[in-house]
Amino acid sequence: MGYGDVAVAGEVAYRQMIDSITEYEVIRLDLQGTVRSWHPGAERLTGYPADEVLGHSVRMFYTEDDILAGRLEQELRTATETGRYETEGWRVRKDGSRFWAAVSLTPIRDPDGPVTGFVKVVRDLTERRDEQVAALAIEQMLDAITDYEVIRLDLDGNVRSWSPGAQRLKQYTADEVLGRHVSMFYAEEDIRSGQAQKELATAERAGRCETEGWRVRKDGSRFWASVIITPIRDQAGEVTGFVKVARDLTERREQEQLVQRQRDEILELSTPVIEVWQKVLVLPVIGTLDSLRAARLTEGLLERIARDQAEVVILDISGVPAIDTDVAQHLLKTVEAARLMGTVSILSGVRPETAQAIVHLGIELGGLRSRNSLRDALQVALHLVGVGNVAERDTAGV
Amino acid sequence: MSDEVPILRVGGNLLVTLQGNLDDSTVEQIENAVTSEVARTAASGVLIDVSGLSIVDSFVARVIARLVAMVGLLGAASTIVGLQPAVAITLVELGVPMGHVRTALNAEQGIALLRGARDERVH
Repeated sequence: MGYGDVAVAGEVAYRQMIDSITEYEVIRLDLQGTVRSWHPGAERLTGYPADEVLGHSVRMFYTEDDILAGRLEQELRTATETGRYETEGWRVRKDGSRFWAAVSLTPIRDPDGPVTGFVKVVRDLTERRDEQVAALAIEQMLDAITDYEVIRLDLDGNVRSWSPGAQRLKQYTADEVLGRHVSMFYAEEDIRSGQAQKELATAERAGRCETEGWRVRKDGSRFWASVIITPIRDQAGEVTGFVKVARDLTERREQEQLVQRQRDEILELSTPVIEVWQKVLVLPVIGTLDSLRAARLTEGLLERIARDQAEVVILDISGVPAIDTDVAQHLLKTVEAARLMGTVSILSGVRPETAQAIVHLGIELGGLRSRNSLRDALQVALHLVGVGNVAERDTAGV
Repeated sequence: MSDEVPILRVGGNLLVTLQGNLDDSTVEQIENAVTSEVARTAASGVLIDVSGLSIVDSFVARVIARLVAMVGLLGAASTIVGLQPAVAITLVELGVPMGHVRTALNAEQGIALLRGARDERVH
């Protein structure tokens, strides 16, 4: 076998090697970028058979923008000057669809120096790029959440990711917290009781841990946090870490407490008891009577009866928008409780429509005295507490 | 409650004070003492002071109602005195029927009430 045969045999082996590469496109270009070799891998990637490509400029795979920008010429020049050129970018298949290509261009030189052509290796990275874009989008999405803290913890509770929302909430920068245990944000008493560890254990066991509590910022100030910890699982279902979402609810908590305080005050204000005469109390009932208010009203009234030893109580209902069965029940219970203590009640402020409603609803008021105006009711009351008239209230039917 | 059931005479009336925990035996003692005392003194009225009872349940309420009925059979009128606010609310919420029982804020008012009731009967 002569030297020529060996060369030919080498050429064949080389050819077979190239042909066996199906994941990459490995082709040869001449100085101008004309395609001089083709193989199944290239055909698989671009959709073009050899006869449609050989002898044509490699420009045919470029996007219109790249062609107009003279991309190919730049690439060949850079490759020639630097000995290698690598890039990533969109390339076009025969059917017009695009793929994200990782391209490398290497000049081929004669033994004595001048460049005679190029080897071009192309790989389709569309899938990897999609994943990267998706990952980036998730990262940007998390970073865009600035009202919440969304961070990742490892299995031991060490901080593994930080976000602008977390920084805004807790004032720490990423390098101040990454790798440190999440308990650094907890209040001292919670650190002592191992609150963070308990929460992680709950999250792992129950699949979620939702809590509210005090957390501490970098400057030592506290805020009321609503925290949700969810375990991250790998494909086998093993917990590999946790996602922690936290929110500052200090304002809402204060708001709620304020509302509660105001509600208490309103309850207090809405059930005033007035001593209009010695041993005569007036209770103006204003607004809608729900069971909570009614209970407070009864309680307040009876306490005052005990304190003032009041013999008569006038329940003025002119401020009650509508009397229904419930309201009537509440009032009758109050009247009965007052009676058991030895006090007579008089209903006043009964408007014509209220009188009709009470009868239409079939509400039985028993022997309860009832008057249209507070003035009339007061007259009855004064008569009842008048000297020597104590017994009369009895005969008038309590 | 001690063996002694505190019963005071106030004019023509008796003042019975209920206090502490009431159980079956003390209730029996009270009923014995009150009925025999009403019969012995021919009292026209009995004031039952319950201000010393912090808890009144349906059992105690029944005891009171029974006492009122016995006193009535002996020809005397009774009045419950000094029911605490919490007790009044409890009785109403329990729905204990107390409709026929007379009440007064305190012993003074109770006596005035009894005097009125007697006068009423006299007329």
